[in-house]
Amino acid sequence: MPMLGSSSLQQHLLLLVFLVVAVAVGQAAAKTVTYDFNVSWVTANPDGLMERKVVGINGQWPLPVIEVDKGDRLVVNMYNGLGDKNASIHFHGMYQNGTNNMDGPSMATQCPIPPGYNFTYDFTVDQNGTYWYHCHTEFCYPDGYRQALIVHDSDAFFNDDYEEELTWTISDWYHDFVEDIQFLSLYNPTGAEPVPNSFLLNDTQHSSIPVKPDTTYLIRIINIGAFVAQYFYIEDHTFKIVEIDGVYVEPKEADLLYISVAQRYSILLTTKNSTDKNYAIVTVADSDLLDVIEPELQLNNTNWLQYDADAPHEDAVMTVEASADLVPFDDFTLVPHDQMELLPEPDFEINVTVTMNNLYNGFGYAFFNDISYTAPKVPTLYTVLSAGDLATNSEVYGEFTHPIVLQHNDVVQVVLNNGDSGSHPFHLHGHNFQVIERAPPFNEHRNDYADGDPLTFDPANHTAFPAIPARRDTFVVPPQGYFVIRFVADNPGVWLFHCHIDWHLAQGLAMSFIEAPLQIQETTHIPQQHYDVCRAGGVPFEGNAAAHTQDLLDLDGQNKQQPFLPAGFTARGIVALVFSCISAFLGMAFIVVYGLSTPAAPLEKTSTDTSDIASASAPVPAPGTGGVQHTVEPYRD
Amino acid sequence: MTNVFGVQVFFIIFREALEAVIIVSVLLAFLKQSLGQPHQDPIIYKRLVRQVWVGSLGGILIALVIGGAFIGVFYGLGHDLWAESEDLWEGIFYLIASIIITVMGLAILRINKTKEKWRVKIAQALLAKGKHQTTTKWLGDWGRRHAMFLLPFITTLREGLEAVVFVGGVSLGLPATAFPIPVITGLLAGLLIGYLLYRGGNVMTIQYFLIASTCILYLLAAGMFSKSVWSLQFYKFAQKVGGDVAESGDGPGSYNIRQTVWHVNCCNPELDHGWDVFNALLGWQNTATYGSVISYNMYWIFIMVAIACMLYEERTGSLPLQRPFLAFIGKIPGFRRYAARKLNAPKPNADDLVSQVDADLFSHGIAQRPLAEK
Repeated sequence: MPMLGSSSLQQHLLLLVFLVVAVAVGQAAAKTVTYDFNVSWVTANPDGLMERKVVGINGQWPLPVIEVDKGDRLVVNMYNGLGDKNASIHFHGMYQNGTNNMDGPSMATQCPIPPGYNFTYDFTVDQNGTYWYHCHTEFCYPDGYRQALIVHDSDAFFNDDYEEELTWTISDWYHDFVEDIQFLSLYNPTGAEPVPNSFLLNDTQHSSIPVKPDTTYLIRIINIGAFVAQYFYIEDHTFKIVEIDGVYVEPKEADLLYISVAQRYSILLTTKNSTDKNYAIVTVADSDLLDVIEPELQLNNTNWLQYDADAPHEDAVMTVEASADLVPFDDFTLVPHDQMELLPEPDFEINVTVTMNNLYNGFGYAFFNDISYTAPKVPTLYTVLSAGDLATNSEVYGEFTHPIVLQHNDVVQVVLNNGDSGSHPFHLHGHNFQVIERAPPFNEHRNDYADGDPLTFDPANHTAFPAIPARRDTFVVPPQGYFVIRFVADNPGVWLFHCHIDWHLAQGLAMSFIEAPLQIQETTHIPQQHYDVCRAGGVPFEGNAAAHTQDLLDLDGQNKQQPFLPAGFTARGIVALVFSCISAFLGMAFIVVYGLSTPAAPLEKTSTDTSDIASASAPVPAPGTGGVQHTVEPYRD
Repeated sequence: MTNVFGVQVFFIIFREALEAVIIVSVLLAFLKQSLGQPHQDPIIYKRLVRQVWVGSLGGILIALVIGGAFIGVFYGLGHDLWAESEDLWEGIFYLIASIIITVMGLAILRINKTKEKWRVKIAQALLAKGKHQTTTKWLGDWGRRHAMFLLPFITTLREGLEAVVFVGGVSLGLPATAFPIPVITGLLAGLLIGYLLYRGGNVMTIQYFLIASTCILYLLAAGMFSKSVWSLQFYKFAQKVGGDVAESGDGPGSYNIRQTVWHVNCCNPELDHGWDVFNALLGWQNTATYGSVISYNMYWIFIMVAIACMLYEERTGSLPLQRPFLAFIGKIPGFRRYAARKLNAPKPNADDLVSQVDADLFSHGIAQRPLAEK
């Protein structure tokens, strides 16, 4: 038995050595990919309608696509050369495990980078699939500051199924600068989102994408827009979905996708045998999201899968009415390739309701449970690092960052009830999550509850959760519907959970998850450069949300959302109403007095003989004129 | 309720009807006094009475025709045009309406004075005609012969058109269905009060009624004035917002929070039935702006000052500070004659005038011809 035991031990040791070597070899194979990004203004005219200033990188726009292999270390040296605008980069979908400070959202994990300053993002990409990067400071990415980030994976299960790889970005496009668009305004009380001026594919329109016949392509489709979700299909073609938001899924045949902003799909498309025709790649903006549709706004756009450059390129026909009837593929039904099972019952549940309302300044805001995210004075991550043991007390992060402290490795469930009549794509930083319930389902009934009472999740009465739920990092909740998601809090860091419609983020539709704060303190090291950026911008980087460093529970002076509107009469309203009533009654009293105090002369007359006015002439009779005689008799008809 | 009963319409029609009735009754009283006595010719008297009635009804008829056409055009053509900027037009028309009501409203309390005024006016008109008979003999003759037709005809026509213009101005935004009932009831009420006045019923009862109706009239006017300011402000807000602000109901977003004194998320007169009556009567808005509250109070203060001045004038014969003011004006060259005229203007003696008419007109005017025929 000892022999056996020792041999077993040897086997184990052998296995361990082998693993260590394998990991070492793997690490050796991983390389460092470095990008130097000089961010500055350039001009571009992607839709041929208007030339405008856009955010370029190294003098070019469209921006460079970041491409790395799984396991690579990615270093992005960013220089803010915009001159008039703060910036940052968020690498959308990156877990940033152990590098929370590289996540990018200003005032959550870093300070905004002022013009003229450098910032180095440096992290390991230990994941695969299709991602993107974009500015995450105030509202800067609709000005063009967004592009794809592709993580190639030599081990992807579908690697042998395709010959060539394409990346297509789709996006909405504005002609105005974000800062010039009056969105948060007294004169936009309904919070109507600015309607884009056009829609782009690969930052252009009417492009022809040459393809070879009878060839399978892996096509990565990313909605890098700021607001509008788009339908996507290719005429007379079907395709197989193999990846969503970096998660490989069991291939599923589909012909129509609905891609909200920030969502990604990888599809396998096998081209036709014949080359006699070009097929339209059709993208259709979801008109339900748009407040007004000006006649000149082209909602559907055609690009071409070009089999033969000489064959005609015909525009696809898709009307707004018909687009409302499109029934896209329901991403909820996808099954991850890794077959990860439904997480166990949650250790912690977050239950939020989305609403939109006006606050005291008349602007329209968005709320999770009546809290509209308001950036703190100190980036939340820096508060974690300076709060010591109090970091586990959510109070230090301020009321209006809507902080939720999560315990390390807890299973967390988020129940999100949408009290708003619009659909919203919700994104969680640092994670993907299991999508375990959504109502109404994303089929032809998805907009059924837009009017009337909202649906709310009932934990006692819901459909069975899928055994192997789909996982995403951006998930759409239907109008007045709800969704339920689960994830494991195994990634210490400050992670925003927010609506990815940039306008709604501006309205405060966000909250902060402070995941395992004590572990963050242990593992996170902030490079000096990050603090330099804070100093340059005059942003405090120590203390609680109100930048108090002594008494961390003193939040006096924290940034607050505007007060709620009074529900009815306030003191000044009552005073105004009372005064109005008093003056009305006084005025009527004057009228009554005036009416009763008939003036002397007519009063006498009317009171004596009103019945006969003619008799008033009696005292001056005119005798002997034409036989007309006057009498003083009262007139009676 | 305002869909079938435009309160403003009622009061304007009532007021105009009352005035017309008074004039007709003054004329009839004239005739009765001059020719209707037992020893006088009943044929001439009857003919003249008939003339008065024909004239009155003719005037009303023509006023109705013109008024109907006016309202028709107003609502047929105008409404679509104004729907675009309804708040702007509402603001302007409410302003005009409140000014009109303000100016004419208090006169209703001096209805006896009105009677007196008309007696003088008619007398003056008849005398003037008598004097100018040489210039256009035929017209003068005809005019004199038919004076009892022309006077009520022109009066009722004028009052009728006035009513139409006022009603049109006041009631923009009311549906066409809001007109018939208040027009009819207003007419009836006007006729009734006029008749009561003529018959000499209980004067004080009538006076109480008039006071009450005047109070309501001024509540209307104050509300309209306030609403006019409100509408103009809202128009500006809606213009900046773009799109249809009213679309957002009565909750947040339907009003400009920065100008708001109070706001209740209910009771919107545009949406809530019942509150629209409150709105029509008192100018209620579920959102009160600084402009609307201040203008409402200023309006009433103005009314109080105006009434105080009028009472003062009735007691002393001139407005407060009128004489010092005219004396001051008189020292400025150019205004001297105007001031002097105002200061020394003789008050026409009503009784003198009326008695002249009796003697002059009926001796060689209408009265003579039928006598000659005899």
